[in-house]
Amino acid sequence: MKEKNSATTASTLGRILATCSKQAKDYGSCVASKVHEIEKDLCLKQFLALKSCMQHTVKIMSPRPSSSQTSVGSGALSHAYIQHPSLRCNVPESRGLFYDDANRLLICVTSSQVFSWETATFNPDVSPSVDSIPEGPILSVRFSLDKKVIAVQRSDCEIQFFHRETKQTLTHKCRAGSESLLGFFWSDSPLCDLAVVKTSGMDLFACDSAMNLRLVETKKVNVNWYIYTHESRLVLLASGLQCKTITGFQLSTAGVVRLPKFEMTLASTESNSKPIISAGDVHLVTVYGRIYCVQVDMEAMLLHTYRFYRDAVVQQGSLPIYSSKLSVSVVDNLLLVHQIDAKVVIIYDLFVDSRAPVSAPLPLLWRGYQGSDTSPQAASKENESPESSTSSENIVMYEDAWTFLVPDLILDQTNKVLWRVHLDLEAISASSSDRTSLLEFLQRRKLEANKAKQLCLGIARALILERRPATQVTQAIDVLVTAYSYSVKAGIYKELKNGKTTATIPTNDGASPDNERGRASGSSIDEEEEEVEMNLPSGSADEQQESQLSSPAISPDELYKFVFASVEETMVDESDYLVAIITEFLRSISAEKLKVDLNIYVMTIRLLARSKRFAELSLFTTNKIIEPSKEVALQLLESGGQDPRVRKLGLDMLRQLSLHHEYISSLVQDGYYLEALRYAQKRKVTSVRSSLFLEAAFASNDMQHLAAILRVLSELIPGFKETSEYYTFHGLLNETSSSVAV
Amino acid sequence: MPAATLKTADFVLHKVAQSFGLCLLGFILKGFYEILEAMGMASMNSSGESLKLCVFDLRRGQNEGQELDKILFFYPPDVTFSTQLSVIGLSEGLITFTRLFSPEAACEVIEAERHSHVFHEAEPDIWMVMVVEKNKEIEAIWRVDALQKVLKEVHSLFVMFHGSIRSLLDKEPSGGLIRSHFYPFITDYLNDLSVGKKLQLPSFRETLKERGTVQMLTLARDAALEVQSLVGVLDSCAGTLRCHSVILFHDLLVSTTLSPDDTVDLFTFSVMRLTSNALSSGTSSWSYLRKGTSLSQTSSKSTSPQLLVSSDSLPSGNGHDAGRVIRPLQHNKWIKGKDGFLVTDIWGKDATPTIWLHQRQERVHLLAYQHKCLTLVLLVPTEAIVNGELDISFVKHQVIENATAKILKVEEKLSKGWGGENAYHVSGYRYLLVDNDMEVSRASPSGKVATLAKETLLAVNKLRETVDTEKSRTKEEKDMEICIRAKNNAWAIARVTRGKELYMALEKASDTLLDATDSVQSFSNRYCNGTFSMD
Repeated sequence: MKEKNSATTASTLGRILATCSKQAKDYGSCVASKVHEIEKDLCLKQFLALKSCMQHTVKIMSPRPSSSQTSVGSGALSHAYIQHPSLRCNVPESRGLFYDDANRLLICVTSSQVFSWETATFNPDVSPSVDSIPEGPILSVRFSLDKKVIAVQRSDCEIQFFHRETKQTLTHKCRAGSESLLGFFWSDSPLCDLAVVKTSGMDLFACDSAMNLRLVETKKVNVNWYIYTHESRLVLLASGLQCKTITGFQLSTAGVVRLPKFEMTLASTESNSKPIISAGDVHLVTVYGRIYCVQVDMEAMLLHTYRFYRDAVVQQGSLPIYSSKLSVSVVDNLLLVHQIDAKVVIIYDLFVDSRAPVSAPLPLLWRGYQGSDTSPQAASKENESPESSTSSENIVMYEDAWTFLVPDLILDQTNKVLWRVHLDLEAISASSSDRTSLLEFLQRRKLEANKAKQLCLGIARALILERRPATQVTQAIDVLVTAYSYSVKAGIYKELKNGKTTATIPTNDGASPDNERGRASGSSIDEEEEEVEMNLPSGSADEQQESQLSSPAISPDELYKFVFASVEETMVDESDYLVAIITEFLRSISAEKLKVDLNIYVMTIRLLARSKRFAELSLFTTNKIIEPSKEVALQLLESGGQDPRVRKLGLDMLRQLSLHHEYISSLVQDGYYLEALRYAQKRKVTSVRSSLFLEAAFASNDMQHLAAILRVLSELIPGFKETSEYYTFHGLLNETSSSVAV
Repeated sequence: MPAATLKTADFVLHKVAQSFGLCLLGFILKGFYEILEAMGMASMNSSGESLKLCVFDLRRGQNEGQELDKILFFYPPDVTFSTQLSVIGLSEGLITFTRLFSPEAACEVIEAERHSHVFHEAEPDIWMVMVVEKNKEIEAIWRVDALQKVLKEVHSLFVMFHGSIRSLLDKEPSGGLIRSHFYPFITDYLNDLSVGKKLQLPSFRETLKERGTVQMLTLARDAALEVQSLVGVLDSCAGTLRCHSVILFHDLLVSTTLSPDDTVDLFTFSVMRLTSNALSSGTSSWSYLRKGTSLSQTSSKSTSPQLLVSSDSLPSGNGHDAGRVIRPLQHNKWIKGKDGFLVTDIWGKDATPTIWLHQRQERVHLLAYQHKCLTLVLLVPTEAIVNGELDISFVKHQVIENATAKILKVEEKLSKGWGGENAYHVSGYRYLLVDNDMEVSRASPSGKVATLAKETLLAVNKLRETVDTEKSRTKEEKDMEICIRAKNNAWAIARVTRGKELYMALEKASDTLLDATDSVQSFSNRYCNGTFSMD
């Protein structure tokens, strides 16, 4: 079976290589020419060309890849995917699709109607709301933030407003000829409600409920093009011959902030031709509450990143480009750079200083039903109901008609479907070898917090089970514990048992960026500059509230329960190692001033006792590494069966915790009747029955003991001689030995 | 002449006294002693040396004319064979006699008018006997148990380095091997006890100290966790085989992964030779070097049979280089190397010391690392060291690589919390706390104990003797409380409860017994978790 498989694979490979011989040759010659200086990614361009050719060939050769799996791409290996079902927005006589990022609405217009779909929750079954508008050309459509007004740009000098309830209409025109309209967007800043960008600058209008527009302010700038995203509330106006000069404004709830003017970087070419930056080359990216701008520099084949501060724009380094066409998405605070020609996506985490990608470039995958991406049943099911879905043949990855919407949506203009990009955290973690940075990475994930959490637990378990060096495990534990401690302090973490997650995302009045800053390791910019970072609206808040868990943080108790307790059984012979790891865990917890389930102490005692490390057990107890508690004391007593010294530790702990009843019972059990009696008398412990002493003494078969205790009791307790207990044991005593006098 | 001075009451024979009338035994012993005296065996006219220490094997030299064979060690080395034989003969006689009554534990001590004979059966049939002279000086008042502890300490240190005496005897039945090891070892050890020209035995002045126990540093929880984390790293420095480690800060124990017995031995040795204090004392004006050379001169002059034997070329116990006897207790032989590891040439050039762990019954390599006042003793199993020094340097590299950051952190934490020499001083109290289970003790700093009046110290000494006697009567752990009022109205109080002992001197003359017990009570509650709160 296996051989047959490999044989077919070999022949397939042969055919593929025959088809892609040119690309293969290119790649080979590139490697050969640079063999002396060869390093990773040196011939990546050639490699990607070869790869896409091969992928293409495979697709041709097996037109129904869903026979074994419902995914499109190079096999199932990918880190990002789009998933069936998509949001279908196919309206007959559609004249165009628009996306209103402020309201997260997908808008489809016909000659007289506006269909809008909510995409925030991304429910494919959502039905559109329909509004009628007068006929006319439509360049762009945006709903007001309260969704009461629909604004439609009709031409380069006219915007029309339609009130959805009152059906009121208003037309706003700009001076024709001298300036032209570039676009507009709604704002929630206290100053203005609407911003209109023209070639001569930006007009800010206030709009009242009766739809009266009042010009509030005008920002005079020569504008070639502009970009705006609602999640950053940032508008960038490009001017200059090469469109390199950027003026930025943030229209946040705190007011309108003007950013310092800055120049984008463009590599100069040998010829005199000056490249021009277009609006499509610049993307606003919002990750971890920070605002970045990424700009394509085709000449240098680099993607430059800039970070925005309130009064500075700082270039943050560049990422390589492997494609002439490029777009970006942001999923869960990660930057996904789609190398459209190469049909791969590279994931970057801008949180870390290193600009190395999170994972290797891999294609975007199309998946069938959720969670059954590789099961044949899902595929067959899908085939049975072809009308309900876009069948896999129709999907061509990175088609020209694909539009990338902020932050994580892909609009397929041809098929009139909307996809949302997902990350495959499992695949990413499976392909990462550095577990510590992987854990850090996973702990930063919010979208699929539960999955990230489970993966983290799995990694932690695996690290221990694989018996990795303690230093490695320690680092991993430190990552998890600090992440938890941080999320508790930031108020993100909520216990699972609270059921309804009411986690609040820290408000964006500078507080959350500050926290982020505290966590960011070595972001030197932050320290250099005193000013507060740019305010950022928490656009994704609703999204996060919907997910069950808001944070992948793992509490120490969960770490104990799902990691330590679960590996204990399998690590019976490695208790030394496990104790070392637990010690590190406790150290980490104590450094963060956290508490942990006391069962971990009980477990530590068990492990130490199992490997007969009684001296250390005593050290652990006296130094309070093992914190005293009743459970701990009882475990000490139990483990003390092998070593009386350990038993004493348990007894001492009981006494110190004033657990009188247990202390007295243990003393009696050890045969210290008189001490126990004396203790009971002194502490006035009444919960211990006198029969306990008598029974224990009787069980010890030492009649002298029994006699002594009877005597003491009858002197201590008035009227004891009249009780039935006295008679019983006195009788027993007389029966067994008449020689002992009471 | 000596016999005439003997009095019956001078004989106190522990152990045997339990089962027989003291008086009757006294008479028997008197007769016994007189016979011995008559044979000239008990003559104690030594050459001004107040101490005699001998080790002998009862299984050897049973035939007439071969008596010398049973002597394994004798100090001072320059006394005549006849004197040696008379001391050993007397001891042997007493042992044989008392064994009749108590076969399991023969005599522990014999008090004569002018001498005390302290016995210690180090290994089956191998006895160590210390004969101390009772001179008129008041300083020469000691507790038998303290002297016995000295013998025990010598023996266990010897075993730690060379293995058991019996094993050395088995290896080389002529006894030359053991003698060649004993002589330098015990002399080096006694050297530590000598002050000026005289040997200073643990007298009543040291009654608030306990030899053969470990003194520990109290750690806060966070510091303890850091230490334990360091221990975890040290544990794994030799790959999969677990290393053991002992960590000291100044002269106090911070952490150990050894059994209490092994810890005590290694701790004792470390404090003697390895800790920062031990290393720096070598360079002080009170030089060990000077004393060491003078001692070796005397030894070279001496013509004792032991030395004659030791000059023979015999395979040494450690098996390093034949003919060379390793002197682990030699002074001034440890220096701190550039990499922080302590080096010595005692075991030969570039050779790593090995010691024997009692609990694990295995030989381990000893590596000592020092950073400021923090001393780490790392014990690497011999199985982990296959390629000799190559593997050793690998382990050292591992320590430097993995543990340096943690060592710095631990040192910093401990220094921050370090209360100085008087950290464990509790004002108004002079105390000694002993935990027999863990072999741990804590006491008032010696500087503070020195402020006590002689009468008080004598009273505490007396008190401790009483407790020793009580304890030796029964094997069982029992609770007791003893209070003694000294001549100067000071209180000496002992409380013993399940393996833990507290001795205390309170010098406030106006205190009533009630005040004194209250003081003990509050001390117990405050510093001992209420362990000694009895009433």
